[in-house]
Amino acid sequence: MSRPSFQNIISRGLRTIDRVAAPGVVEAHCDIPCGIYDPHAMQIAALSVVRMNQLIEALAGDEGKTKANLSRYITVKEDHAEIVKKEARIIWGDYFKAEHLEKYPDLNDFVWGMLKLAGKNKQEINLQVAQDLLAQTQKFAEIFWDTKGVKTKRAPSNQAVGGELVVPA
Amino acid sequence: MTRSLRRAAVAAIVAAAGLRLVRGGMASPIGRYVVDGPSMLPAYQPGERLLVNRLAYAFWRPAIGDVVVLRDPDRRGHLLLKRVSKAPDGFHPEPSHVFVLGDNAAESRDSRAFGPVHRRAVIGKAWFKY
Repeated sequence: MSRPSFQNIISRGLRTIDRVAAPGVVEAHCDIPCGIYDPHAMQIAALSVVRMNQLIEALAGDEGKTKANLSRYITVKEDHAEIVKKEARIIWGDYFKAEHLEKYPDLNDFVWGMLKLAGKNKQEINLQVAQDLLAQTQKFAEIFWDTKGVKTKRAPSNQAVGGELVVPA
Repeated sequence: MTRSLRRAAVAAIVAAAGLRLVRGGMASPIGRYVVDGPSMLPAYQPGERLLVNRLAYAFWRPAIGDVVVLRDPDRRGHLLLKRVSKAPDGFHPEPSHVFVLGDNAAESRDSRAFGPVHRRAVIGKAWFKY
């Protein structure tokens, strides 16, 4: 085992102090918080990414028309992957608090991975990667509602794309 | 002064400084803070903890690039974490004022919204994360 660095020791000491007396809060909010957060938009956006991949896979027929449709689908796919990132960032940054991190210690890594996965969905045409992103947004929604003590269920999207949405039960 | 006396004096100073750090309060030269919100991403993540040097601007002006803790001009009792920045062209804040921006400009409420802030509202400089 390596010896803890000087900085490590300082950090540990300060964190121990934090447990005795909580640190002050410095806010880095995007706006005066309205207190309204909902992981629904990110799931809809992820569904859209899935749908665009389905449409791209199904492309056939007249070459000119196919090219035009392909470029539209790619644009919409990338826009909605970006919406997933934006929505995740807002809830992650503004809503989640230190107490939630204690309950979900992997939360930061989880969201980080989700942002990266959304980025991958911008780069690639890959239905599986899109499904993975949808699954991540569902998990995100379950964590979010759990922190509010709200039970959830998985409901069919009732859209052409298929898939499910996590909603309050 | 004998050696043991000197040792006792040093220990007393260290203990007093330690107590200040635990008890906090605005009179303490060093403050412990936790970040809440995304506006300083990627440099400061939500939940990260930092020490703030409250004496940093006792004699010197905040410099462009400094990350500072300041009193929220819009909400009493709230503190903000922002970076001192160059004011936009055509904008000339008073020498007594500083222009602050969030690093993550798309998701930040800062001097673009509430204007330059007086140096007195800047309570300290972000020192290091722990």
